[in-house]
Amino acid sequence: MQIDVRGRSCPIPLMETKKALSAAPARLSVLVSSGTARAHVTSLLRDEGFEVSVQEDGDAYRIEAQRG
Amino acid sequence: MSRRIIGPAAWIGLASGLVIGAVAATLVKAGNPGNMGVCIACFVRDTAGVFGGPALGMGGVAYLRPEILGLVLGALASALAGREFRPRGGSAVPVRFVLGFVFMVAALVFLGCTVRAWLRLGGGDLNAAAGIAGLVAGVFAGTLFLRAGFDLGAARTLPRLAGWIGPGVTALLLALAVAVGLGAKPAFLTVSPARARATAQGALVAGDAVLKPAGGALVGGAVVAADGEVVSPAEAVQKAKPIPGGLRAPLWLSLAAGLFLGALAQRSRFCTIGAIRDAILVRRFDLAFGVLGLLLGAFAVNVALGQFKLGWVDQPVAHGDLLGNFAAMGVAGLAAVLMGGCPFRQVIMTGEGDADAAATVLGMIAGALAAHGLGAASSPKGLAPLGWPALFVATVVLLGVGSSFRAARRSAPCSAPSAGAR
Repeated sequence: MQIDVRGRSCPIPLMETKKALSAAPARLSVLVSSGTARAHVTSLLRDEGFEVSVQEDGDAYRIEAQRG
Repeated sequence: MSRRIIGPAAWIGLASGLVIGAVAATLVKAGNPGNMGVCIACFVRDTAGVFGGPALGMGGVAYLRPEILGLVLGALASALAGREFRPRGGSAVPVRFVLGFVFMVAALVFLGCTVRAWLRLGGGDLNAAAGIAGLVAGVFAGTLFLRAGFDLGAARTLPRLAGWIGPGVTALLLALAVAVGLGAKPAFLTVSPARARATAQGALVAGDAVLKPAGGALVGGAVVAADGEVVSPAEAVQKAKPIPGGLRAPLWLSLAAGLFLGALAQRSRFCTIGAIRDAILVRRFDLAFGVLGLLLGAFAVNVALGQFKLGWVDQPVAHGDLLGNFAAMGVAGLAAVLMGGCPFRQVIMTGEGDADAAATVLGMIAGALAAHGLGAASSPKGLAPLGWPALFVATVVLLGVGSSFRAARRSAPCSAPSAGAR
């Protein structure tokens, strides 16, 4: 599952990620464009028990999360 | 599956909040107005006052606050170092300007922003509790709009130069602030005289000098005008109150504190609005720990420095209109949710190259000029006659904005979790 919240103001990246989590995905990919969204989404996913890695993808960050 | 409520980000938030609160209380000891070590609304207003001057009734609140300039530049340095300086913007820019404007008017009715509300409480000012209750109510209202799909739309990546406009203007203002600090007196600026005190009759004294009326002098402790008329009797001069713009920590200390806190807040994502919003909306408490730290840090250092004063009356730069405090912070809280974060964050994001945040700060500057020029800003005596009408108009504007910007998110295919999956 992949969501794209590039350019969105707080707290929409968190809200959309949370919404995606309600479907209990095993893997989730979140595309964000600010360091703040990256930090908040990463923190949420780690607290939810995911293994998280982040890659820069052009102007954006791609957050890959996998059930740990 | 393991799930935690309080992860490392919460502890980082708590630590950064503690430091911000402690530095703020220290700046008060060093000369800033009471419970105003850090106040985004007050400092943006004071900076605007330098250009508004006496014509807008801002002669007493005119000072290029180095803290606020330092916050932007500290955030810039931190963002550059962390490769997070990303010029971006173009998301409902005029609406963000209006939200900044409305936020500022409300903050000046309360007498402080969403940061200072907690600093006031941490200094023992119980009137701030009414403001904080209003803040929670306003943020809650904002979360209802967010749940209903409020969205100002996505910002785009902008050419690199666009991200430098906010920091560039800040650097120019800092050059002016340093020039004024070194003794320059540019004719186009008003700067509140340092340590000046105003009498009930409107005379202005600093030490042994009479600053207003022009040509006046102190005779036997009384302010006497050039024509020999007694403007303020000696007992009024004794009771003269310091003007907020004249209370300031040393320039270099203020600047260093601003730079440091700017970098810290950029790294820790400190946000006084996100603190309440995320707790209500998504049950996330990372930012709430930051505000808890802010309160505790300010409280501890205020107690340690002997400047904690618990009570309702005679609190520095505050008034006791509880309903007014509640309503003003409610409006400010709603405005800040709609603009995507507290004024502190808007300033930090300006340093990160966010042109939308810079537009919000510009709106705050305009709001400060309007609130003082029209006489809607409160004084320690209470709300101004235009205080309540201003809050009413602000509420109407916010309800209009909150209910108008919804379509974008529904129609954007990528944001639906099922769409775009590969």
